[in-house]
Amino acid sequence: MLKTSRRNLVAHKGRMLLSAVAVMLSVAFVCGTLVFTDTMNTTFDKLFAVTGADVTVSPKAAEDGDDLPGSGRPEVLAGSVLEQVRRVDGVADVQGGVLSMSVTLVNGKNENLGSTTGAPTIAANWSASELKSMKIASGREPSGPGEMMVDADTARKHGLELGQELRAITVIGDVRARISGIAAFTVTNPGAAVVYFDTATAQEKLLGAPGVFTHVAVTAADGVGDEQLKRNVAAAVGADTYKLQTAKESADAGRKDVASFLNVMKYVMLGFAGIAFLVGIFLIFNTFSMLVAQRTREIGLMRAIGAESGQVLKSVVVEALLLGVIGSALGIGAGIGLAVGLMELMGRMGMNLSTDDLTVVWTTPVTGLVLGVVVTVVSAFVPARRAGKVSPMAALRDAGTPGDRKAGRIRAVLGLVLTGAGAAGLALAVTADRAAAGSAWLGLGVVFTLIGFVVIGPLLAGIVVRVLSAPVLRPFGAVGRLAERNALRNPRRTGATAAALMIGLALVACLSVVGSSMVASATDELDRSVGADYIVQSPAGQPVVPQAEQALRATAGLDHVTAYRGVPAKVTAPNGRTVDEEVSVTDPSYAQDVRRKMTAGEHPQAYGAGAMSVGSLYAAEHGVKVGDELTVAFTGGKTARLKVAAITSDDGNLDKGVMYVSTATAGQYVPADRMPRPFMLLAKAADGKAEPAYAAVKAALAPYPQYQVLNQTDYKENLKDQVGQLLNMVYGLLGLAIVVAVLGVVNTLALSVVERTREIGLMRAIGLSRRQLRRMIRLESVVIALFGALLGLGLGMGWGAAAQQLLALEGLKVLEIPWPTIIGVFAASAFVGLFAALVPAFRAGRMNVLDAIAGD
Amino acid sequence: MTTAMTETRHGGTGGHEAVAARARQVVKAYGSGETRVVALDHVDVDIVRGRFTAIMGPSGSGKSTLMHCLAGLDTVTSGEIHLDDTEITRLKDKKLTQLRRDRIGFIFQAFNLLPTLNALENITLPMDIAGRKPDREWLERVVETVGLAGRLKHRPTELSGGQQQRVAVARALAARPQIIFGDEPTGNLDSRAGAEVLGFLRRSVDELGQTIVMVTHDPVAASYADRVVFLADGRIVDEMHAPSADQVLDRMKDFDARGRTS
Repeated sequence: MLKTSRRNLVAHKGRMLLSAVAVMLSVAFVCGTLVFTDTMNTTFDKLFAVTGADVTVSPKAAEDGDDLPGSGRPEVLAGSVLEQVRRVDGVADVQGGVLSMSVTLVNGKNENLGSTTGAPTIAANWSASELKSMKIASGREPSGPGEMMVDADTARKHGLELGQELRAITVIGDVRARISGIAAFTVTNPGAAVVYFDTATAQEKLLGAPGVFTHVAVTAADGVGDEQLKRNVAAAVGADTYKLQTAKESADAGRKDVASFLNVMKYVMLGFAGIAFLVGIFLIFNTFSMLVAQRTREIGLMRAIGAESGQVLKSVVVEALLLGVIGSALGIGAGIGLAVGLMELMGRMGMNLSTDDLTVVWTTPVTGLVLGVVVTVVSAFVPARRAGKVSPMAALRDAGTPGDRKAGRIRAVLGLVLTGAGAAGLALAVTADRAAAGSAWLGLGVVFTLIGFVVIGPLLAGIVVRVLSAPVLRPFGAVGRLAERNALRNPRRTGATAAALMIGLALVACLSVVGSSMVASATDELDRSVGADYIVQSPAGQPVVPQAEQALRATAGLDHVTAYRGVPAKVTAPNGRTVDEEVSVTDPSYAQDVRRKMTAGEHPQAYGAGAMSVGSLYAAEHGVKVGDELTVAFTGGKTARLKVAAITSDDGNLDKGVMYVSTATAGQYVPADRMPRPFMLLAKAADGKAEPAYAAVKAALAPYPQYQVLNQTDYKENLKDQVGQLLNMVYGLLGLAIVVAVLGVVNTLALSVVERTREIGLMRAIGLSRRQLRRMIRLESVVIALFGALLGLGLGMGWGAAAQQLLALEGLKVLEIPWPTIIGVFAASAFVGLFAALVPAFRAGRMNVLDAIAGD
Repeated sequence: MTTAMTETRHGGTGGHEAVAARARQVVKAYGSGETRVVALDHVDVDIVRGRFTAIMGPSGSGKSTLMHCLAGLDTVTSGEIHLDDTEITRLKDKKLTQLRRDRIGFIFQAFNLLPTLNALENITLPMDIAGRKPDREWLERVVETVGLAGRLKHRPTELSGGQQQRVAVARALAARPQIIFGDEPTGNLDSRAGAEVLGFLRRSVDELGQTIVMVTHDPVAASYADRVVFLADGRIVDEMHAPSADQVLDRMKDFDARGRTS
């Protein structure tokens, strides 16, 4: 039987090709994702392997060498630690390190030279230990306050040259220095911009104090292991005084930081691969159904001459197996190509990844192969079983393929039950009063309505195609009617073909409804709540340096400027329970900038001396009333007892649940150099000066390109753009699912044309012109595509609306259905139909009339 | 053969009678050189208007090919075919399709109808394709003639083989074509249903003045025709007027015998 399977596969290679492409695309996406993330991991591993010292000593409070959130000043070690560690047994060398990530590097034209991909700009002192990962490519190491060295990637990207003056913006102040040298990474640098100063300059300009370090790099003497060295150092300096990490621990910590980012990316991409597979299942199912239907007579003959039912089934399954293997093998290759393409794309966006690091672990092809083969065989199993059930009598019957008119009562009942259950799930999600429970219902609702629609699709095809035909096909007269009848003749096939398209478009519709509701809700809230004219903040989340704040405050035409900080604190309620909270420390003018609904007290009262406010949810949970005292332990400062003077309503999204404390109050407990820098500045123009002041504010902040200055209109635009960009990325990925769905339409049409050879011959004989024939096939395709689009968009809008209702709990209050997008997608799906019909229509037109009518 | 040709020239045109289709020196050959096969070898034939002509011959005699060429379904290697005044051998596909649609009716042996359309829709299909409105009165008369009045809303699968062929006859008649070609229209029917269909064809010639050309190998079917043209090895070898089934059978046997001896 294997021979039969192989022969069949080869005989129908044209028809199998599209199914193989579907398998290939899905597998390619999975393998591409795996190869890409593995390669990223390799790149970072190599980087961490050369940057970590044998043992690193850093301050206890420092988070992996990072700064206290928001203060812009890294935690430091006294210089004496260096000498202390140097005397420890097994230490070969000790280097004091200065490293800050709160730096922005700009050129003479005030252009930000930092990474555009979210990778940090790192400023450090140049020391011997840097030579493990860097080598000086040109010039020499920096010496003195007027010199700096930059990394080669940044220099190349921005055309920097030796001797050029750059400015480094830090919390301490601006540092102007000339480029004395350019250093190149010895491994791939994924994207950070690095600038070096000599140690004294780094200490002064980055840390604001001479003789201190952010970490100490310890090199082990020959024969001393990292763990041993760590124990020795711990014994000498005290185990709990400092944070000690071996090279391996540093690398692990770094990897963990990167992994969370990589994992998000990985799961998103695998999610789309899953959708591609889901759509592929329909395509494969349809192909095998049609092949089995066409081969009914042949199968009947085999049964008549003695093949067992199981053998027939097995032969079809083996055919699917072969298809799966071929598709997967191609997919694995394509996946590696996809990964390289992704790396290239990331390169364009400013992230360096080298193909030298391309990592294909053995599990990747195995995963791809297993997934591809299993999915193909499972999809083909139902048609295979149908083939097994073909009776020997089929060989004797007419070979015509009668329409599958029995849509089936079981299908109707099952479909309705599933859809009903799904709709109930969505309804429960809408009425849920807790987001967690609601999202579970939403998930169930989405899954069940999707399956329900797939099951019921063939029944809906009968109704919807007729409805669509009235406006779409009737104008084409007899040809239109023939197309309609053809689309209706096998509802199961039409249903399955359209279902593939439906899935992708349902997701598109759902996400676009949620996306535009997000924009609409935020805009609405902004209009209602925000009184400030300008918002200054860094898209990368960098805190605002004092120079920038002063520049803004010095701008003419402003009524006031409000600084908004987040200060981490442990807040204890009178009931004794403590929560970790980021307290919003801001100026009393904030009450003019943002209008808050209050459940008790007035907004300005929150900024009184020794006062604070809490959110209504917190107040309810902990039984806090106005007048109660809370214990607030500020991180990096002292513990305060503050009186609750106001309670803000948590019925919105803006500043939901935050606790307000005035800058003056917080300043009594947090020392100035430990006080986090504001991450946002708000400003209001003096009456009637909004326009000129906007230009003045922009000009004042021009030297600080890391911050964005936006007025309300631009802020809304910006928000819309951000959501739009996110959606575009998602649409791009969903495009893959739609491509697979289009392949499905092409496949269905191509097989239908072959099936209808005699009909086509007859029609051509009695006078149907080639052009009419092609139009008939195109119209059939259009109507199938529109059917799928209608179902998908309807379903997706239902999901989106349910999701919005659920998210209304989280402040997504406004439902906005983006009709232009929805209508655009619907219209575009007609073109998808036209496009899918190109080749099948062309081939039908080329059929020889005589062969067609003579064909048995 | 010379005799046959002479006979065709003189008797075929019937002298004063109008000609619906005319083939002159038609050659249809497949392949070239050693493997060249001649299906039609300089055939001359005239189809008289308002008459029922049968084309007979053993398998491989070229009778179907001749019909396909006359009907504009197939191209010829050389020679000319006129349908009325139109020379069709040089027409492009588009014109040929229009010609078939507007001026020719077809009845095939099997698979005559589109399964997605009901009987009435199948009957009016050529006119629908052309975007023409059918002539109501004529349509009713045709439907009545073939006895389908009660079955117009049925799909082909709900009709018997004989009924299906009657729908095909009605379709061929409905557009009032200049000429109807039948390719073994009763080949798949039992004798009773076949007789019925042939009866309709005969009546449409007698009562409606229709011109019909039918390819068949069944002497009984041929006996319904006004005239039988015999083909062998791609040539017209004989013809017979107002034949009886027995006469035709005898003639055919004669061919067979000759075929075997030569």
